[in-house]
Amino acid sequence: MSKEEVIDYKKTKKRLDGRKMDEIRPLSIKVGVIPNADGSAYLEWGQNKVYAAVYGPREALPKHTQNPYKAVIKAVYRMASFSVPDRKRPGPNRRDHEISKVLSEALEKVVFVNQFPNTEIAVMVEVADSNAGSRVACLTAAACALADAGIPMRDLVSAVGVGKAFNEIVLDLNKDEEDAPDAVDVPLAIMPTTGEIVLLQMDGLLTRKEWDAVAALGIKGCQQVYEVQKKALTERFTVEELNKKAVEKAVGVEKNTKKEVVLEKKVDKVDKKEKESKTEKKGKDSKSKKVRK
Amino acid sequence: MSKKIVVPGELISEERKRLGSNVFVANGKIYAKVLGVSDVSKDQASVVPLEGKYLPKPDDVVIGVVTRVVFAGYGINLNASVDSFIPTKAIRDQLRVGDLVLAKVESVDELKEANLIFPRRLIGGEVFEVVPVRSPRLIGKNGSMLEILKKGTGCELIVGKNGRVWARNGNIESLKKVIAFIEENAYKNNLTNAIQDFFGVTLEEKFPYNQQRNNRVEESEVIEEESEVIDYSNVGELNE
Repeated sequence: MSKEEVIDYKKTKKRLDGRKMDEIRPLSIKVGVIPNADGSAYLEWGQNKVYAAVYGPREALPKHTQNPYKAVIKAVYRMASFSVPDRKRPGPNRRDHEISKVLSEALEKVVFVNQFPNTEIAVMVEVADSNAGSRVACLTAAACALADAGIPMRDLVSAVGVGKAFNEIVLDLNKDEEDAPDAVDVPLAIMPTTGEIVLLQMDGLLTRKEWDAVAALGIKGCQQVYEVQKKALTERFTVEELNKKAVEKAVGVEKNTKKEVVLEKKVDKVDKKEKESKTEKKGKDSKSKKVRK
Repeated sequence: MSKKIVVPGELISEERKRLGSNVFVANGKIYAKVLGVSDVSKDQASVVPLEGKYLPKPDDVVIGVVTRVVFAGYGINLNASVDSFIPTKAIRDQLRVGDLVLAKVESVDELKEANLIFPRRLIGGEVFEVVPVRSPRLIGKNGSMLEILKKGTGCELIVGKNGRVWARNGNIESLKKVIAFIEENAYKNNLTNAIQDFFGVTLEEKFPYNQQRNNRVEESEVIEEESEVIDYSNVGELNE
C-alpha cells in the first residue's frame, strides 16, 4: 500500500509497464476464426484475449422477442471461469448482464436494424483472459465480427478505456492502474468516421478539466484502434489480376487429363441422347424413373 | 473507375452520384454499408459485398431445401433469415424433408420472406454451398462463367442466387475445386478469363445458347453484375 502511494506518473513520466501516457497496449485482431459462425473475430489486447462470434440475421426465438420493425441485437458477454486470477463462477452474474446490455445498445446504433424485421442478430463474446478493459476489447471484437458477417452497418465501433491513474490522465488502463488509489475508469466507444459516442461509462470522479482531457485522449485512442480493425478486415483481400497459372496452382489439375475427361463425357452424352430418343415414345414417366436409378 | 477494399462506414465518394447497392448517404457524402469492394464510376457509386447472408430479391433463381412438411404445403429453407412456403397446390411431386427444390422468387414481402413460383424438384445430383454474395461470380456476365464451367466439366449445373450450387453428372470433383477457387477469389479481376484459359474452352459470341433454350434458369441468371436500381431505403435514414 505504501509503495503504491509513492507512485506518481507526473514525476516518473513513465507508466508501470513502460508505456507512454497516450499509448495503447499491443493490439492484434484476426477475423474469420470460427467456421460455424456467420462472422467472427479473435482479439488480443495486452493480456486480454477475446473471441466474438456473430450469428444471423436469423429468426428471433422465442417469438415474443421479435420486433416487426427491426432486428434485435442480442449480445452475450461471458467470461471463462479461468479468465481471472481467482476462479469465476461460470454463470452470468450482475456484471455480465450489464455488459451484455451496453454492448447490445452500442452495436444497435451502427447496424441498419430496420432492414431485417422480426430477426435477431446474436453476438456472442467470450473472454478467455482478462486484464482490465475487457468490455472495450469485446466491443471492438464484436464490431469486427459483425463486419465479417457482412451485416450492413453505418460504421464500425472502436472502443478504448481511458481514465486517471497515479495522478495522470492515461490511455488504456491495465489492471494495476485500474486498482490505483485515485483510479478513474472511463470505457469509451465511438463510431470512428462520425465521432459519435455509442458507449460511455465512468467509474470514479473527475473534475471538468480532467474530463475534457480524458475525452480528447479517448477519441484519439479509438482512432488508433480503428486503424487496427480496418487492417484486420481488409488484409485478407488483395485486389489483383488473375491468370491461368493461379488457377492451375490452386486447383492442381493438368490440362491434358482434363481434356480427356471432357471428351469422354461428350461421348457419354451422345449415347444418352440416342437412348433417350429411343425411349421418348414411352413418355416422361419412364424418363424420370431412369434418372432416379 | 477505382476499386478498393472498404469496411462499413468508409467514405467512397464525396461527390453526388447515383446510389448503387450497399451504400448510404450521410451529410451529402457516400459511404459503404458493408465489407466489400468499392466500385466508383463517373455517375454511380456502389459496393460489391464480400461476405453476407442471402437477401431474397425478385426474379432470383434459388435452390431450397424442404425443412417442414404440413398438410397445406412445404417449408423451404433458402439460407435467408426467414423460411419460405410452397403450397401443395403449386407442385405436383410429393416432397419430403431434405428434398431439393428449384424455384424462382416472385416477390419479397415486408418481412423479407420470399414468395416462390415455378417450384421444381431436383432429382439426383449434388449440392454444395458458397458464400451467397459471391455466387454472382459463378454466373458471370450474361452467364459466361456458368457456360465455361458447364463446358469445362461436362456437368449439368444450376447456380442458385442463395449460394447453393447443384450439379449432376460430369467431372464433379474438379468442378468442386474450381468453384472453391472462384469463391475464394471472387473479388479479383480477370477471373472469368483465367478460368476460361484453364479449361481451354471457347465461347461463342453472344451465347446463342441463351436465346435458343427456353430454360428459365439461364434466363434469369443473366441479370447479375449489372447495376442495380437506386436503393430508396436509405433516403429515410438521411432525414433522421
